[in-house]
Amino acid sequence: MTRSSLAALITFAAAFSSLSIACEAGETVPHLTVGTQEIGLSAGYLLSNRLTDQHSTKQSGPAIMPSWAMVLTDPIGWRWLRGHLMLGAEIVYIQFQEPELTHGVGFTPKIKWMFEGTGRLKPYVEFAGGPFYTDLAGRIPEESARFNFILTAGGGLSWFFTSQLSFNVGYRFHHISNAGTRYPNLGLNASLPFGGFSFYF
Amino acid sequence: MNASPTLRGLTLACCGLILTATSGCSHWIEMMTLPAQPDNRGAQMIAGDEQVPLILDRIHTTRNGSPQNSSAETEQRILSSLADIGLFSHLTSINTSPPAHGEKTVRARLLFDEAVDPHAGGAAWKGIIIGASMYLLTPFLPFEYDYAAHLSLELERWDGQIKRYESQSAGTVRYHLFGATTIMVDELKGHVTESCLTELARQIANDTVFFSANSAPLSESGIRSVSVKPRTMRPPASASAAISISAPAPAEP
Repeated sequence: MTRSSLAALITFAAAFSSLSIACEAGETVPHLTVGTQEIGLSAGYLLSNRLTDQHSTKQSGPAIMPSWAMVLTDPIGWRWLRGHLMLGAEIVYIQFQEPELTHGVGFTPKIKWMFEGTGRLKPYVEFAGGPFYTDLAGRIPEESARFNFILTAGGGLSWFFTSQLSFNVGYRFHHISNAGTRYPNLGLNASLPFGGFSFYF
Repeated sequence: MNASPTLRGLTLACCGLILTATSGCSHWIEMMTLPAQPDNRGAQMIAGDEQVPLILDRIHTTRNGSPQNSSAETEQRILSSLADIGLFSHLTSINTSPPAHGEKTVRARLLFDEAVDPHAGGAAWKGIIIGASMYLLTPFLPFEYDYAAHLSLELERWDGQIKRYESQSAGTVRYHLFGATTIMVDELKGHVTESCLTELARQIANDTVFFSANSAPLSESGIRSVSVKPRTMRPPASASAAISISAPAPAEP
């Protein structure tokens, strides 16, 4: 583990513990209604998934995802499926440390289904997609164009410290390709475990 | 001189952004207008010593047909609205101050029936379309949230005579995605409820004479009787929603 990664981890743990201490006395059951907005910040580490023999690049690196979302519906659905539909957007920044130090940034509208869960603990699934620019393309056999699209699908768990603040952990599958605008276009696939915080207001 | 394509594109992008930012951030409330009730009686007068207290017996709240807990805020708001009429000497809840024995009082029972339609299916589809359009369609796809209220108020005079009053109102909040706030639904509910309470107050004010202290003597026995019966459950509005009811088996003869 690099020195910067260790520092980031320590900072993250310190922020987590201080928040949990500060929020112990507050109201913990969130009250999400139409119009409730979420501002979030997540960070994770991208790990390559080479799905075919033609994929050779082992891209990896940290990712940061500031996000915004809004609750579109009051709770709908039956039994354990009951939850809120949310619409949002996020910026995804990935620093590819392998195979070369390069960068990628994208903007993705996202749809999120947040289950009612158990009050404080709410699972969710989400899907996002949008344009993604990276200078990794052109240096690897899978991608030739710098302008790409990123598609993301995944899920996670939100643990509410207070009615307005949650800690999130989750997993996403990332696919990056250029929609056939240039060739080769094999696409890059990756797993992204992540953690972060969200503020609801 | 021709503007360069870059400048034209930039101008168009700026215009689009301004359009999205301005028209995509609005919300407004539309109230369903009810036909004005003829009010051929002017302001009624009541002497201070003829005013009697009103005691709010209970509030029964339902939302889309299912029973809900009544909030203290709702109770307070209803009491305030009735106090504004000026007909009663003071207003209290049965929980806070029970009536004194032998005192002339008016007892109130309220049924507050709410109907909420958040158009969840439409909102979901519009949300998906807006997201897929990278938010460019935000100004063109407004969302809706409907709320209707039906209030039935039963006022029982100290001699057991009962008067019933009803009012209803409805409204819709229409909003664009970026104009949505958590308080807009509260604003809608506030307007609709206020409209209902105003109409109820108008109807009660017309019966000022009925509730004045000298309109009827206190019943001689001073003992107020109430009917005791099991609660009857109303069937849910939706035919698809089934409620299972278990009943004890009949006793063997």
